[in-house]
Amino acid sequence: MTLTEPAIADSEAASGAGDATAPESSDEAVAAPSTLAQPFVTSDASAVGRLFVLASLLLALGTSVVGVLLSLGRTEAVAPWDLFGGFNAYFRMWTLYRMSFMLLVVMPLLLGVALAVVPSQVGAGNVAFPRAALASFWSWLIGAVIIVVSVFAGGGWGAIDGVTGNESDAMALTLLGTGMVMVALLLGAVTVATTVISLRQTGMSLLYVPPFSWSMLVAAAVWLFTLPVAVANLVVIYADLRGRPAIAFGRAESPDIWLQLDWLVEQPAVYIMAVPVLGVAVEAVGAAVGARSSRPEAITVIVGLFGLLAVGGWSQDYFTAPQDLRDGLVYVAFGLAAVLPLVALAGGAAELVLRGAKTPDRLLDVRMVGAGAALKLLGAAALVGALRVIEPLDLLETTATWAVFHGVVVAGLIASVVALRNWSQELRIGPLSAVVGRGAIALLAAGGGLLVLSDLVSGFLADAPDLMALSLDGSAVLNVVVFVGSILVAAGAAAAALGAVSALRPVPVAESDPA
Amino acid sequence: MFTTGFKFFFGLFAAFCAAALVYGYTTGGNHVGPLSLGWKGGVGDHIGYGVLVGLAGVSLTISLVLVSFRDADAAAQAHLQNLAEVPTDQPVSASFWPVAASFGAGAAAVGSVLHPMVFVLGLAVIVLSTVEWTMDAWADRATGDAAVNRELRNRIMAPIEIPVIGALAVGVVVLAASRILLTVSQLAAVTVAGVVSALILGGAWVYASRPGLGRRLVRVLGAVGALLLLMGGVLAAVAGERDFHHHTDDTHEESGEPTSNGEHGG
Repeated sequence: MTLTEPAIADSEAASGAGDATAPESSDEAVAAPSTLAQPFVTSDASAVGRLFVLASLLLALGTSVVGVLLSLGRTEAVAPWDLFGGFNAYFRMWTLYRMSFMLLVVMPLLLGVALAVVPSQVGAGNVAFPRAALASFWSWLIGAVIIVVSVFAGGGWGAIDGVTGNESDAMALTLLGTGMVMVALLLGAVTVATTVISLRQTGMSLLYVPPFSWSMLVAAAVWLFTLPVAVANLVVIYADLRGRPAIAFGRAESPDIWLQLDWLVEQPAVYIMAVPVLGVAVEAVGAAVGARSSRPEAITVIVGLFGLLAVGGWSQDYFTAPQDLRDGLVYVAFGLAAVLPLVALAGGAAELVLRGAKTPDRLLDVRMVGAGAALKLLGAAALVGALRVIEPLDLLETTATWAVFHGVVVAGLIASVVALRNWSQELRIGPLSAVVGRGAIALLAAGGGLLVLSDLVSGFLADAPDLMALSLDGSAVLNVVVFVGSILVAAGAAAAALGAVSALRPVPVAESDPA
Repeated sequence: MFTTGFKFFFGLFAAFCAAALVYGYTTGGNHVGPLSLGWKGGVGDHIGYGVLVGLAGVSLTISLVLVSFRDADAAAQAHLQNLAEVPTDQPVSASFWPVAASFGAGAAAVGSVLHPMVFVLGLAVIVLSTVEWTMDAWADRATGDAAVNRELRNRIMAPIEIPVIGALAVGVVVLAASRILLTVSQLAAVTVAGVVSALILGGAWVYASRPGLGRRLVRVLGAVGALLLLMGGVLAAVAGERDFHHHTDDTHEESGEPTSNGEHGG
């Protein structure tokens, strides 16, 4: 089987329509698209998944480079506004880094894996809406291009010192691109969720759906509860920016635009990226040691609980007085409770290890190492999140916010490397090299760990709220650590992207199983 | 019982309702305002709430239409076609229209900020893609034979597509050729028109006299010719028309020099 095998062949194979007795005219009428045309017309969800994975990994590389430049600005080697050519430009890159990692990297990366893996896990020939999956990818890609180009043209999600005429146009484009990306991700998520709900094999109860498919179903549900709220935010901001003053709700200048959207990259909503990570981790550990959980329904409940705690559309402090929201019982409870499902899931993974073969080669398998690293980083992020909501610690508006963000994002990147290794057959790529996989995971884990730790400690050291870490004079050493961590994450993203690109070669099915 | 299409859109309806509630209460809604569409209490921010409720309404309507007509219900289709067995899975043919719809959405987004013409073009592409996509989806489920499905689709759409595409092609050719002829000098315009006419005539003669000519070759030559014409038209439009010198006796002559703004001389 090759990478360019026509989708129709798979569909026909699944349906039995492509048998030898088919009339000759059938072959002509449904002629397979050429290699060049395939990405534009394919109805094979696995091919769409590969497109998502490849594009997201390349964007991960670009985004992590932006992260390196931003962290360089924190080292005092060069003033951040000098590095980017002005304070507004620095703010643009600062917001791009966060939005991009969420909407252009981690979410599409895991969605791409899901499009390829979920149908085979639930026993379906293809996803429920193959054409919607294709539209999802292209809409996401076009939206991503609009975002990146408009941000570099002076747009972005707000400006610190006021919005000029040209910036207003570019910002409008950024908002439209963001909305397009969100709607595209929703389309893909609905496709995956419908596949799990409607196309799973007869007799397969939702409680016993494989953990990754279940985690994607939960993630899709949470995305459906979260992203439309963010799209509504975008509509209001766009109306403020372009509409007449009579319909203006807020102010489309200063950083107000960002303040209406920042809830998306802060807890609890930031965890919406991490829900599929749980499914990847459990399945990777099980595959590495060759064991199945004795209580699969417990895993199902744990993943569902984590998804529930990731619903965050209600936590918009732009519309509610921050002290009312952040000190409220619900916000604190969500922050503290998010740790529990991760601890429980770690217990579930440990049970798998105890039940499985504990030979050194299996315990040091790339999937095992990666799953462990992803869960640890996610656990660390949730732990910081729990500390953050404890009011006497004064961590709310500090860099501890980005410790949570970095932990979740890097855990998502590591999970994608594990997924590439674990499901190469479903993705129809060659097996990800063990050396590259281990290298990428080690770099990402080390970089992510440094970022989480230094952002947390910087948060403790801050005398006053300082989200952008612009006045952390007392933590110069920590800022250098952040810089090193950013470089390691960028190197890990580069290794993962290179590994994925080198795995994109036609291979026989039997050769592509890493196990 | 419930069709796949119904589940999809009813799910969207539920999600949009939930999003509207969350959005309403988080943007200043009070009492049961967001629950009662503003009848008792405020709904918070009207624009976002209105958009979400509107989307919920559209999703609910579509879901009810789909379940009423049993769309994507394999059992219902098998019954209509007098099939003994219900097909378990149906092939989905390759289609360009999802990508076209995405590009249309992108063009509409960019055009809404940069130029109304691009916006309208994007909307037109979205509408066209929606119609074509719908027809492809219907045809894929018409029978169990992909070739028959394709033929059914073409039987309905070809009488619409061919004249429309033909009219568009003629329009593009006329527009591009006229830009080229109005930009180059008078002598060059006559030469270009003569050469192009001769090429078209010669090509048609060769194609008619050699029926065995490869279809791929003809397609490639046609595509290259169309591309050259389009590029020439765009470049000529950018360069502007040549300078026309009008005289009082209504005769005019051309200097042969193109102008940057394309205005006629007086």
